[in-house]
Amino acid sequence: MNLQFMLFILINGLSQGMVLFIIASGLSLVFGVLRVINFAHGSLYMIGAFMAFSLSSLFAGKTLFAFLMLMLLVPPGVAILGLGLEVSLFRRIYRKEHLLQLLLTYSLVLILDGLTRLIWGGQIRNVPRPEVLAGSLDLFGLYFPSYNLFLLIVGPLLAAGLWVLLYRSRAGNYIRAAVTYPEMLGALGVNVPRVMTWTFMLGCFLAGLGGVFMSALANIDLSIGMERIIECFAVVVIGGLGSVGGAMLGSLIIGVGVAFIQIYFSRMALVFPYVIMALVLIIRPWGLFGKPER
Amino acid sequence: MNRTILNVDNLHKSFGRSAVLNGVSFSIPEGEISSIIGPNGAGKTTLFNVITGLYAPNKGSISFNGRNLVGLQPYQIVPLGIAKAFQITSIFPRLTVWENILAAVITHRKKNLDFMTPLSKLTPIHERAQELLDSVGLSDYAHYQSGTLAHGNQKRLDIALSLALSPKLLLLDEPTAGMSPEERRDTVTLIKNLWERLSITMLFIEHDMDIVFGISQKVRVLCYGVLIAEGTPDEISHNPKVIEVYLGEGE
Amino acid sequence: MPSALQSYESTRKSWLIAGTVIAVLTLLPFVLNQLGRTGEYWLWVATEMVIMSLFSLSLNLILGFGGMVSFGHAAFFGVGAYTVALLMKKAGVGFLPAMVAAPLASALVAGIIGWFCVRRVGLYFSILTLAFGQLLFMITLQLYAFTGGDDGIHGIPRPELLTPLSYYLLCLALVAGSFWLMRLLTKSPFGLTIRMTRENPERAKFLGINVKRYQLINFIIAGGFAGLAGGLFAELNRFAQTEYLHWSKSAEPIFASLVGGMYSLIGPAIGSTVLIFLKIIIQQIHQGLVEIWAIILGVILLGMVLFAPEGIVGVYEKIRTQRRRPQ
Repeated sequence: MNLQFMLFILINGLSQGMVLFIIASGLSLVFGVLRVINFAHGSLYMIGAFMAFSLSSLFAGKTLFAFLMLMLLVPPGVAILGLGLEVSLFRRIYRKEHLLQLLLTYSLVLILDGLTRLIWGGQIRNVPRPEVLAGSLDLFGLYFPSYNLFLLIVGPLLAAGLWVLLYRSRAGNYIRAAVTYPEMLGALGVNVPRVMTWTFMLGCFLAGLGGVFMSALANIDLSIGMERIIECFAVVVIGGLGSVGGAMLGSLIIGVGVAFIQIYFSRMALVFPYVIMALVLIIRPWGLFGKPER
Repeated sequence: MNRTILNVDNLHKSFGRSAVLNGVSFSIPEGEISSIIGPNGAGKTTLFNVITGLYAPNKGSISFNGRNLVGLQPYQIVPLGIAKAFQITSIFPRLTVWENILAAVITHRKKNLDFMTPLSKLTPIHERAQELLDSVGLSDYAHYQSGTLAHGNQKRLDIALSLALSPKLLLLDEPTAGMSPEERRDTVTLIKNLWERLSITMLFIEHDMDIVFGISQKVRVLCYGVLIAEGTPDEISHNPKVIEVYLGEGE
Repeated sequence: MPSALQSYESTRKSWLIAGTVIAVLTLLPFVLNQLGRTGEYWLWVATEMVIMSLFSLSLNLILGFGGMVSFGHAAFFGVGAYTVALLMKKAGVGFLPAMVAAPLASALVAGIIGWFCVRRVGLYFSILTLAFGQLLFMITLQLYAFTGGDDGIHGIPRPELLTPLSYYLLCLALVAGSFWLMRLLTKSPFGLTIRMTRENPERAKFLGINVKRYQLINFIIAGGFAGLAGGLFAELNRFAQTEYLHWSKSAEPIFASLVGGMYSLIGPAIGSTVLIFLKIIIQQIHQGLVEIWAIILGVILLGMVLFAPEGIVGVYEKIRTQRRRPQ
């Protein structure tokens, strides 16, 4: 077994995990505050990836500038799409039973994925990496692809940023309060609908950001939405809802796991998240970070 | 002297680091109607939940009619003869009142696995269900969806469900919580009637002292997970420890 | 004012409706047979509708009746299909024993999977059913030698007695019979027990009910009926493929139940039939629209969730009770 080869897979898995973390933390946030499992979160991520593709073709040649533009424009774009969805649809289902919420968000998956297919077609796409990140770094005689390293830095930075937002900022207080004391918050004069809307937009922002990063990491096609949402469920099962650390650990486990299995048992790679989900739910349903109740 | 129906010995229960029950011990003789009182957070509901098997105690034993209860699940404890009526009324909201009672009677008679007999043909069960509805005064509401009933009536249904199990011991968790004074009086009268007619041992948690002193034969006071006093209502109301606990409570 | 809503109650009128429907459905193929080739196609469609109604009805035992969202129900459908395919094509077993084996096999699988799944509630139950469903899908895909993998099993024999017409009537009879059994079930003490576990599992426990046990039994029964549907479907198309176990197949009866009405017994059958019908109509109107079927379905579901979550049957009931009440 070639060390370089192993390293390559490991780095690839870790960076995929980082992207997954970005997306999953958005889902977790939305669930924590809005109590809705947004199935369509994967579709929003996919739309972000395709938006990145379309936008990048406008900036042919100036890859670094293009990439910065993507990071700047796409996530807010997806967030605005999310705003539209929240105001018109999600607001109406907050009080409804979980099954109906699930069905609503799944119907959105059908609609959004269908529209994505109509607009962008079924071909495989990707976004060119900015030149400065396109090569690899030679460290200790081994090659580390630069873009992957970039993600390995960005991921934890984002996690730290999220942590600061949630635990050290006023907005974060509102968000965490909305998770723990939703009814009380309204009584205290906080504009709870606004907190929910902004949280949802933040979740969509993260989904879009994940889409941008993924579009330059690997090929994107119409299946990535469903793939990612399933992986997000696995992350949430492993790491528990509402834990940034848990989401990070879960994402890395899934990312690396899928990367290695893909090499040796290519078709089984798709099953890996399901196997993990089943195992965790059977053995330790409170996730790796939670505590058993009784 | 009646024999002991429930014996609780040195019961401890903690949730994580917070110890809710710190060595509770008492015995209840058969046929007694008694209450447990105490300030909020004293552990009264937890005590009920441990007795009925929702939580496992960290230490101590519980025996019912000589049978050990520790380690059993609620669905195993209930058929032994203990029934609990809930603090927050717990019924089957989208089923009718009639269906609620039928369900309880069917369960008591262990007919849940009958796949084929239409409900309408189970005459003995219907008779018992009617009897129960009459005993709590809900016959007029039989075919209303139980979730649409007034709060007081839902409470009656909750009690009826427990009675359907022909329990020997009935635990009532704050039966008059959230009721208007009139509803309160009605419920108390109902409980007293049921106790007199059916000779069930009753143990209830209450905050309303009128009720507690009005119908209890014995009062037990729980404070910070320990039983600090036990006696007749008269004895308790003159007990210095109890007075100290409630001083300033403004009940 | 307390209202007197009662779910799962029938009136004498519904017996009349049921009788009429059965009569129409029975006479249908004879009419279609006169239409030559078009008739053949529509007869096939009608058979598919009947079989898929059974599939959706079986899921609703768990979903609307039991209150548990299962995303892996197609696994049992697929097990039934492959049981028939393997027994009839590879083992030379006759139609009748194969059709008996199908629901038994899927009930067994449902028992194994269900044992794990009922140990969790709510969202975690759902995710677990999804996981198991996909695992079964993957296993079927991988066991190439056994199941033909991606290709599936083709050329399931069709006994001479079963012409398209007689097969339709057979399916109709079996599905009607299954529906009648399900009806008995929902009106029995077991049915009431399941409704108890749906309405308030905590209270059910405190009445002495082992909730998990009854949920498992219900799960197995539903799985068995799904297996029968799968077996009939495999014989109809004369092949079984791995798609029958995919979660997207599991989604179909969920949609059917929502559209038709989760809280009634007949709802899922209506929903399933309506959706199949719509899909075909759209295919007939414009070939290109086939691609947009997903979007159209999504919009329909969206509309149902927002405006008519009780489905077609629910809307019908509402109109009926409103007409009775003088406003």
